[in-house]
Order: sequence, then structure tokens, then C-alpha cells
Amino acid sequence: MQLDLQTLTWLIPVPPLLAFFLIVLFTNRSKGLSHTVALLAIFASLALSWTVLFSVIVWPAFGKQVIASAVPWFPVGIAGLTETTAFQMGVLVDPLTAVMLFFVPLTCAMIFLYSVGYQNWGKPRDPRDVPGKPPHYGIEPLYSRFFAYLSLFAFGMLLLCVADNLLLLFIGWEIMGLCSYLLIGFWFAREYDDPKKITPRQAAVKAFMTTRIADVIMLLGVAYLYWETGTLNFREIFYAQDGALLKLLAETPSFVGGLAAAHLIGILLLVGTIGKSAQFPLHTWLPDAMEGPTPVSAMIHAAAMVSAGVYAMIRVFPLFDVPAALGGAGEHAARALGLAAEAAAGHGLSPAGATMATVGAFTALFAATIAVAQNDVKKVLAYSTVSQLGFMLAALGIGGYIAATFHLMTHAFFKALLFLGSGSIIHGVEHGLHHSHEKIDPQDMRFMGGLRTKMPITFWTFVIGGMALAGLPFVTAGFWSKDEILLDAWTHAPVVFYTLAAAALLTAFYTTRQILMVFFGRPRTEAAAHAHESHWTMTVPLVVLSVLAVTAGWLNIPSDFPVFGALAQSLGGDFFFKNIVGKSLLEKPEAIPFHPIPLATSIAVALGGIALGWLVYRNAYAKADSPDPLARLGGLYRWLQNKYYIDEFYDSAFVQPTLALARNVFPFIDRGIIDGLLHLIGRVSLGLGEIIKDYFDVPLVNRTLSDGSGELVKGAGRELRVIQTGRVQQYLVISMAIIMVVGAYVFLMAVR
Amino acid sequence: MDLLQTNLLTLILFLPAAGAALLLFFPRDQEDAIRWTALVVSLLTFGLSLLLWFRFDPTAPGFQFVENYNWFSVIGANYHLGVDGVSLPLVLLTTLLTPLAVLISFSVQENVKTYMILFLLLETGSLGVFLALDLLIFFVFYEVGLVPMYFLINLWGSANRQYASFKFIIYTMAGSLGLLLATQLIGLTLGSFDMQNAFARWPALSGVLFGVDTGLIRAIAFWAFVIAFAIKVPVWPFHTWLPDAHTEAPTAGSMILAGVLLKLGAYGFIRLVLPLYPAEAYASAGVLAFLAMMAIVAGAYAAFGQWDFKRLVAYSSINHMGFVVLGIAVAAYAQGFAAQFNDGRFIPDAILATNGAVLQMFTHGLSSAGMFLLVGVLYERAHTRDLNDFGGLMPLMPVYGGILLFTSMGSLGLPGLAGFVSEFMVVRGAWPVFTVFTAISMLGLLMTGAYILWGLYKTIYGPLNRRWLGHLSDISPREVIAIAPLMALMLAIGVYPYWLVNVINEAVTRLLTS
Amino acid sequence: MTDIPLDWYLWLSAALFCIGVYGVLARKNAVAILMGVELMLNAVIVNLVAFWRYLTPTGSAGMVWALVVLAVAAAEAAVGLALIISIYRRRQSVVAEEVNMMKF
Repeated sequence: MQLDLQTLTWLIPVPPLLAFFLIVLFTNRSKGLSHTVALLAIFASLALSWTVLFSVIVWPAFGKQVIASAVPWFPVGIAGLTETTAFQMGVLVDPLTAVMLFFVPLTCAMIFLYSVGYQNWGKPRDPRDVPGKPPHYGIEPLYSRFFAYLSLFAFGMLLLCVADNLLLLFIGWEIMGLCSYLLIGFWFAREYDDPKKITPRQAAVKAFMTTRIADVIMLLGVAYLYWETGTLNFREIFYAQDGALLKLLAETPSFVGGLAAAHLIGILLLVGTIGKSAQFPLHTWLPDAMEGPTPVSAMIHAAAMVSAGVYAMIRVFPLFDVPAALGGAGEHAARALGLAAEAAAGHGLSPAGATMATVGAFTALFAATIAVAQNDVKKVLAYSTVSQLGFMLAALGIGGYIAATFHLMTHAFFKALLFLGSGSIIHGVEHGLHHSHEKIDPQDMRFMGGLRTKMPITFWTFVIGGMALAGLPFVTAGFWSKDEILLDAWTHAPVVFYTLAAAALLTAFYTTRQILMVFFGRPRTEAAAHAHESHWTMTVPLVVLSVLAVTAGWLNIPSDFPVFGALAQSLGGDFFFKNIVGKSLLEKPEAIPFHPIPLATSIAVALGGIALGWLVYRNAYAKADSPDPLARLGGLYRWLQNKYYIDEFYDSAFVQPTLALARNVFPFIDRGIIDGLLHLIGRVSLGLGEIIKDYFDVPLVNRTLSDGSGELVKGAGRELRVIQTGRVQQYLVISMAIIMVVGAYVFLMAVR
Repeated sequence: MDLLQTNLLTLILFLPAAGAALLLFFPRDQEDAIRWTALVVSLLTFGLSLLLWFRFDPTAPGFQFVENYNWFSVIGANYHLGVDGVSLPLVLLTTLLTPLAVLISFSVQENVKTYMILFLLLETGSLGVFLALDLLIFFVFYEVGLVPMYFLINLWGSANRQYASFKFIIYTMAGSLGLLLATQLIGLTLGSFDMQNAFARWPALSGVLFGVDTGLIRAIAFWAFVIAFAIKVPVWPFHTWLPDAHTEAPTAGSMILAGVLLKLGAYGFIRLVLPLYPAEAYASAGVLAFLAMMAIVAGAYAAFGQWDFKRLVAYSSINHMGFVVLGIAVAAYAQGFAAQFNDGRFIPDAILATNGAVLQMFTHGLSSAGMFLLVGVLYERAHTRDLNDFGGLMPLMPVYGGILLFTSMGSLGLPGLAGFVSEFMVVRGAWPVFTVFTAISMLGLLMTGAYILWGLYKTIYGPLNRRWLGHLSDISPREVIAIAPLMALMLAIGVYPYWLVNVINEAVTRLLTS
Repeated sequence: MTDIPLDWYLWLSAALFCIGVYGVLARKNAVAILMGVELMLNAVIVNLVAFWRYLTPTGSAGMVWALVVLAVAAAEAAVGLALIISIYRRRQSVVAEEVNMMKF
């Protein structure tokens, strides 16, 4: 059985990859065939994943016992000559992976199904449509290609989930990076009238480059970890031999003063996540990534890419959790590095953990403030995602392993739901635009309103998702996971707790604002009035996800929670999630005892935020051009609307200097300095040659030696030509005379 | 078939030259016959090198398929050939790229006969360097390759070809002057040009020679070697001939130039500089690493600043070859460190880095040749390389767009494709030895992304430039066939590099632990 | 009986040779010049035979050499006449003085 499961695990990421190649190489001309292939593949992956998942989850010793299988990927050294051996690449299913296998393929499958409707399957091709631009009304011209990209994306994510080492994780990570680039820039020919508005292809480059900044630093972390431990395998580093390697990492000082190697590696890897999960200060790409088609946004935000960032951190969580054990001066310096969160908590956070908590908590609040002032339906969700990922990282940084993982899962469900819902909304409004022919942005919430009755399924599912995001107490998944984070924060780091509570309040507020602006009141444009419900392929995923957005929360009800704890206990489901996922770690994390203050806070901020939103926005938008009630805040509102001008700052601080460096400085070094030097050498050689020619070769060699001897011979010839008459007889006379003279001489000599 | 057993290397080496000689007898106007003959000859050579690949035993130490005949016995130079795990992949690469380059050159119309003859001679020249086990033979082939390349650029190049070809040949010749002198010095001192003999005796030489201390002589010879190879690689700041030569050369010329000729320099470092000058290499490993870092960073920045697509790709070669040199620098450092302090702690890192460097030579050969091919395809149709002239070509040339995307990603070092594996190995190997330089090199890796995306952004993406409507045809089947093997290999190495790294690793480990 | 002494033959030969030289140097007609050459060769033959008879009568080298000279003379005459005919055809003259193309 073990062997079979291993093979199955290897096979999990394969079908989407096959689908990608099939579509690209063979079926790209047939749209129907292409989406069939893609859908079959993702459902095959889903089936494989769940087969594996439900087989392993019943193992009593799951956690100690895992599915692991690896092949040598590249050799290092030769056995006998050197000590190192091959680098192993393989798959691993431990409890954490099992969780990912539960929700990742499921969400992906829903997104695939949704894409069929979203890209107008079944409608005739509109002759006005151009490849690379959004279709007007007909089927997407690059329909097959879209499914190919989606499949590759799913492959990357599944690969990352089953990876047993950091390098394979990184490979999946980058493949997703490529796909996000391709998909964000899917409508690559799109241009806007407003030159300042970012186009899809610019957004794609921005996304790729911003995450790449983080990736190259993360790669250093991977290299560093590999050097220190000689392996990148998760189990070997964090689990095998009672975590001996981890201890070693905690004891080894890094070359940055006061940091243990474990923590420096952790921070380097964290940078990768800051990029991938769009945390401050590398968050700017994500809202712009909304230029892609909506299923892409859902894929990037919920099911795959940004979750991958957090997942990677959860994977290497022990690096952040392990206390430095440097001894002596190192220990002292390590303590001096402690941040405010740590000091306030009085609980020994490692420097790396404190960094992560700080980044996460700050981003959670920061992004929530921006989300409040956005009008684009998808941008609100984008900033909300940034904020929610901040929640997870903050939780993880302070040691809330279970809470972060749990929120990762619930968030995947309700955020995918919200994104797909927003896609449905946009689709509805665009449909309305065909009747009204207005020139408005179909994504702008100010032009919506009253969609509640036009799109009932979308409305109800969106409300469920929104309430989960807001953390509506007791019924929604978001409440349970967020509550747990707050409890962790309360116990470990009060500063983080207050920050997150404020962020949660804003979350409830902007979610309510969004729902009110989109669905309530009267339609503010003709387009909104003519909107109608989407195709069934789009609404089915919404319904499925909305069910999960509610029920997923019940998986991890704490045993000591009032009322519900007892209820769950009687059903045997209390801490179900924790009991499984916790076994991924060497030391199973302990449950934090129930405390009423975080619970009260959690309920208060959720309800308070919703109520506040209701009060402020209930009647705010009567017409599309009504001023936003928050505009009364004046300058602050403008700052929020412009995202604190961070994009502008980055542009002038980094992008322009880089361009200048690349276009002016380096070409100047090459063309001006180096080539200048070369040309100088060339010219000096030439000059030297001229000098030798003028002052040595020409006068001495040419004129004196070579020309001189020539002239000499010529002169002699000129003088002697007289005897050269051409008459044979004269020659004979001369020769006769000579013979006679010589003969006489010889004769006389002989005689004497 | 005895010849295949005993003289396989000679066959591989001289088959292209024999083909070139055969082409001499073809009438000038039989262009198709000439093209096909050249292709068949180069394919046969590839077939033989495949045979070599499969007959090669990676686990056996030392050189294999050795042939050793008296050649110039008066001065102690022998016709000595052999392959090991370092040279074998490069032989394979050379013999693979030549038929593809010949195939892509089917569109060359003027003076086909001379063109094909030069190409085949070029192949023999490059192969000779990889196969030679005698310093003099090495040098001879090292120079032989220059001449056909000079004529290829000079006669079939684009606008600025006079300047480019002149710069190319003068620069490389100037570099190899020192190499010639140093080679002769070694030959004279040891009485033989045999490499293995030189490896054993040259580094250990002590005392006074010609009235000068041998240490000084070795130092001078070391720098002569280093400068010659550094120009060829090219290492920053000796690189400026490269963008000019690559940009002006015909498509196939650029493919071979980037794919094979640059490797001669890096191969020289590994084959000759490391074993002949361990102490000197150790002393200047830091300098080498610094220059490698500069190549990586400056190459990437300069590539990003280009408006000429081909020049962009040319600069990317400097960027990528920087990683090769970085790996070599690590090897130099670790080897010297082990000898000096009797402490082999960096040896595993060096093995990784050098494996990475050799692999990078191979993978760069694939990706850069592919990129040049694709730029050439575009240039042939549009007669311009200016990035501003393109835009939105994806709908016009969908197959081309997809292939360009794939190859670009290979060049960018996307995991799953070949470049990533080698770059990771080099970075990982270099990290403990040259931490700061490696960290700064990451800036180059970042900019690699920037210039690749910039190239894509300006060509296949964006709104369609109307002037190409109806004027650009998609990539032809012949061109697809020429690039498909490169793509397949990139994927094969990226997904499962073991088969190739295993061969390299055996040789590199023995090299560094001896 | 006393034989004719060797001197006589030598005088004869010398006389023949001198007549030949005179012919070669003084005659204007190229054919006559050629005949002078022939005379000189015959003088040589006389010389050779005489020396053979008086000095080494047992050997055969002298006879053989005489025959060789005869053969050379025949060849020379043939080539010379051919040349003269060729010059005549070209210049309509066999006067040696007018043939001065070799002048620098």
C-alpha cells in the first residue's frame, strides 16, 4: 500500500502538466477539446490528491509515518572520494501537505470550471475581437491558451504542495511566477486612454519583477540552508534525528553579527514570501495584477500563488521558532535585536520570528486602510488579500503555527469565492453594457448598485464570502480562524494583537462597504440595471465554495470554547484540524487556553465593523457621482486612494535610476571607457607604426638599404649595356679573346 | 569498424574538415547540394559524438578514447587526443549546434559554398580544442577556430561588420599571443607539450630557470593564460568585442559564437589554468570572482539598456558566462585552500560550483544559441532588430511567440528549464566561499529577469505595430526543426539533470580531489 | 717504316679548327657560320682519333668519343638549320648581324 501511495503522490501534479503540453502541442485549435483536457486533468489531480489524503489521514501514526519518496537529482562528489552524495528530489505527504492537498486542487478545479463560463464558452466568436484584447461579447479568442496557462499554473502549485525539499518548492514557486506573468498579461494588447493607468502587460512585468527581487534573495537563503545542512529536505532538517540539524543551525552563528544561521536563513526565506505573498514593502504588484482575467486573480490570490508564500513559511516554521543558542556575546546581540513585538510580549520570539510578525502585522493594518478607499471591485479584494496574508504571517511569526495554517485554508475558500463572485459581478455589468452602451468602467463599484435582485446567486454567495472575510461570529469560517490568530497574539504579543484587531475592524468595515455599494440601493447606471445572472459554470463553483467558506471553520473548534467546544467534543471533532496538522512538527504545538478578551474583541470588531459600514454606506451612494462619505477625511482619504503614493515613490527611487543605470551608465562604461581604452591602444599602436615608418623604415631601410642596393645594380647595368649588342658573333669574338688570354696565361704558367 | 573503436576521436575531429574538403569539388552553383552535404556531414559528426557519448564510461577515471601519435617529435609535441567528463558535454554541444546552425543557414543566398566550408572548418577547430591533450595541439586548434569566424562575420555580417570582425580577431589574437608564449615556455622547460605530463611537473617546478626564479616565470605564464582565456570567455572588462561581434555576425555565426566559441575560454580555465597553476589561481581567485560578479551585474544592466534585440541577447551571454567564471573561481580558491592549509572544507562546494559551471556552459550553449536563432528568424523577416519597431507580434506569429517565450524563460533561468539548475549549483557552491560577491551577483540575476521581460514586452506583447500586418509570416518548419532539439534538451536537463551532471561530476570530483 | 708522327695530325686538326673559327666569326651568312662550327667539330674528331691511335690503341674510348661527337654534330646541324629556317621565315634574312633581338 505504501508503494502505491508513493506512486500516486508522484502523479498528483502530472495531469495538469500533461494537459498543458497536450493543449499547446495538439488541441490548441479546438477550444472545446482544450477545456475538456484541462478540466479532466485538474479533476484527475483532485481525485489523486483526495485518494492520497483520505488514505493517509486515517493512519494512527500519521506525522511520524509519512509518504516520502525521492530520486537522485544531481550528484555531488563521488562516494569514496568525497563525503557528499547526490541531491535528492522527491515528494512528501505529511499532515501539512495533506491539508494543502485538501483545498488546493479543489479550489483550482472550481476556478477551472468557472473559467469556462467566464471566457464566454458557447458564445459565437465576435468578429471585432482581437487576440490579446478582452472579448466584446463572444468567446475569448485565446481560449485554449488560457486553459493551457491555467493548467501549468495548477501544476506549479501542486508540485509545490507535494515537494519534499525547498528546491522543488522553489521550482513550483517560480513556475507559478511565470504563469502569473503570462496570465496577468493575458490581454497583452490592451491599452487604456489614460496613459497613467497600468496596462496588463506592464502589470505582468511588474508582478514578475517585484517577486523576482524577493526570489533571488530567497535563493540565497536556499543556498545558505543547503550549505549549512547539506540537504534541503524538510523532514531531514526539521524532523529527523530529533531535529539535530535544526539545533545545529540554531547554534551556528551566521556572518551577520548576533544572528544564528537558522534565523538569517529564515529572514532570507521570509523575503521570498514578502515578495510572493505581497507583503509590505513588496506588495505593490498584487493590486495591479488585477489587470488579468478574474479567474486568474482568484488563482493568484486564493488557491495558489500568494498562499504558496505563506505555505513556504509554514513549511520552514521551525527556523523561526527555534531560539538562538549561540552562547556568550552572540546571545546578547541576539537579544538586542529583539523588536518591539517581542519586548511587549515578554515571550522569547526569535529575531526572525519577530521580523515576520512585524511585517505581517504592519501589512495587515496597512493594506486594510488602503482597501477602505478603493472603488474598483477587484482592487478592494486585492488589498484585502494582502491584509489577510499579513494576518497569517503575523500569526506564524509569534508562533501560531496552527492558526496560520488554518487561516490559510479558510481564506483560500472565501477569497476564491469573493474573487469568483466579483468576476461574476463584472460579467453581469459588462452584459448590461451591451444594452446601455455607456462608457464606464465595469469594475468600478460606483457604477453598480442594486445587483441583489439581478444576480441572486452571486449576491448570496458573495455575502457569505464577505461575512467570512469580515469574521461574522460563529457561523463563518473566517471567524474561527481569525479568532484563533487573535488568541495567539493576545497570549504572545499584545502589540500584534492590537494591530490585528484594528485591521480586523477595518476588514469588516470595507467588506460591508463593498457589499452595500455593489448589491444594495438602486442601480446607478443603465448597465447595472440590465445586468443578469451568470452561466451555470460560474455559479456552481460559487455555491460549492460558499458551502466550504462556512463549514471549513468548524474543523478546528477549540475544546474549551464556550458552548461550541462542548458541542464539537461530543461529536469528536474538537481540534480536528490541529490534531492533524500539528503532527507535522516534531513537537506538537500546545493549545492555548481559552481567554474571553480576544473572543470578545473578535466579536466586537466583526460586528462593529459591519455595523459601522452599514451606518456610513447605507445611503451613501444615491448616484454614481456621489462623494464617498470618507472624502470628508480630506488629505488622508486622498493618500489612501493613492495607496500612500508608494508606486510613485518606487518609480522615482528604484525604477528610474535602474533605467538610467542600464541605458546610460553601463553603456558608457562599455562604449566610453573600455572601448575608449581599446581604441586608444589601437590608435597608439597605429601612431607607433607611423613613427617607425616615417623615421626608421622609410629613410633607413627603404631608401638606404633596399633602394640603395637596387640603384647600385641598376647603375652598373646601365653602364654595361653597351657591350650587349645582341650580335652573336661579337659575343663569340669576345669569348674567343677571353679564351685566348686565359689559355695563354695557363700555357705560360704551365711552361714556367 | 575497427576505426570506430580505436580512432573515434580523430574521426569526429576531422570529419567536418573532410566534408569541407569535399565541398571544394562542388560546382559553385549547386547550392542545394552544397547545403545538404554540409548538413549530412555535420549530422554524421553528431552521430559519431552520440556514439562517443554512449560508449563513454563516466565512472572510469582519467581520459578515455585516448589517441597518442608522434607528431612533431623534435619539440616533443604529440598528436594526443582524449575526452573526459568535462570535455564530453562540450563535444556533444558543438556537434549538436553545428548541424542546427547549418540548417538555419539554408536561407543564406550568397556564396553558399564558402560559407558552408567555413562552418565545417569552424567545427573542426572548436572540437580540436575540446579534444586536445597536448598543449601545442590545443593552441593550434584554438587559433584555427578564429579564422573561419572572422570571415563569417566579415563576409556575411550586417552593417558594421568590418569594425566588428576586425575587433574580434585582433582582440582574440592579442590574447592568444601570451598563450602562445606561455605554451612554448612550458614546452621548452619540460621538453614536452603533453598536458598530463605538464600537470604533474609544471606546478612543482622550482629553482632558477634562464636566470629567473621559476615562481616568477609561472606567475607570468599564469597571467598570459588567464588573459587569453578571459578575453575569450569573455570576462568583464575584456568583453566589449562580444556585443559587436555577436550583433554583426550572421545568425548561425552568432549561434556558434555564443554556443561554442565562448566555451573555449571557460574550458581553458578548467582544463589548463586550474591544474597548471593551482597556487597562482588560489592567489587570484578573489580577483576572478570579482570580475565574474562584475560580468554578471554589468552584463545584465547593459543588456537591459539595449534597443537592439540582438545586442540584448549578446549582452546576456556576458551575464551568463559570469556564472561560469564564478564557479571556476570557487574551484580555484577551494583547491588552493586545500593545498595550502591541508583543509579540504571547501572542496564539496567547489565540486558543486564547478559542476554548475560546466553545466552552465552546456545550458548557456543551448539557450543562447536558441535566442540568437530566434532573433535571426525575426531579423530575416523584418530586416530590423530595433525593439521599437516591433510590438504585438504574438497574434501574427503565434508559434514563434510561444517558442520565444519558452527559450527566453530558459535563458532567464526559470526553474524547470536548464539554466536554473546550473545557476543554482554555482550560487550554492559560491555562497560559502565568496559570500558578498554571490550576494551582489543576485542583482545580476534580478536584472536577467528585467531584460528578458523587456525583450518580450517590446516584441511579442503590446498592441500590434500595423506595418507588419501581412508582412510577417510565422516561423517556418525548417526553423522549428532547428530549434526543437535545443528546447527539448533545455527541458530534459531542467527536469532531470542527473544524466548530464553525473558525467560532469565524476570528472570534476577527480579533478578537484587529486 | 716510320709512321707519320702525331704532330702532323695535330697540325691538321689545329688548322681545320682555325678555319672553322674564322668561318664562325667572320662570315655573315648564318649557314656559313654553321658550317664553320661543323669544321671545328671535325677538327676535334681528328684530334680524338689521333690521340687514340698513338696513346691508347688497345682501348676503345677514343673511338667511342669520336662517334659521340659525330652524333652531337648531326644533332647540332639539325637544330641549327631548323633555327635558321625559322629566323628566315620570320625576318626574310639569314644575315647574322641583323639578328640582334637579344640586345638589352
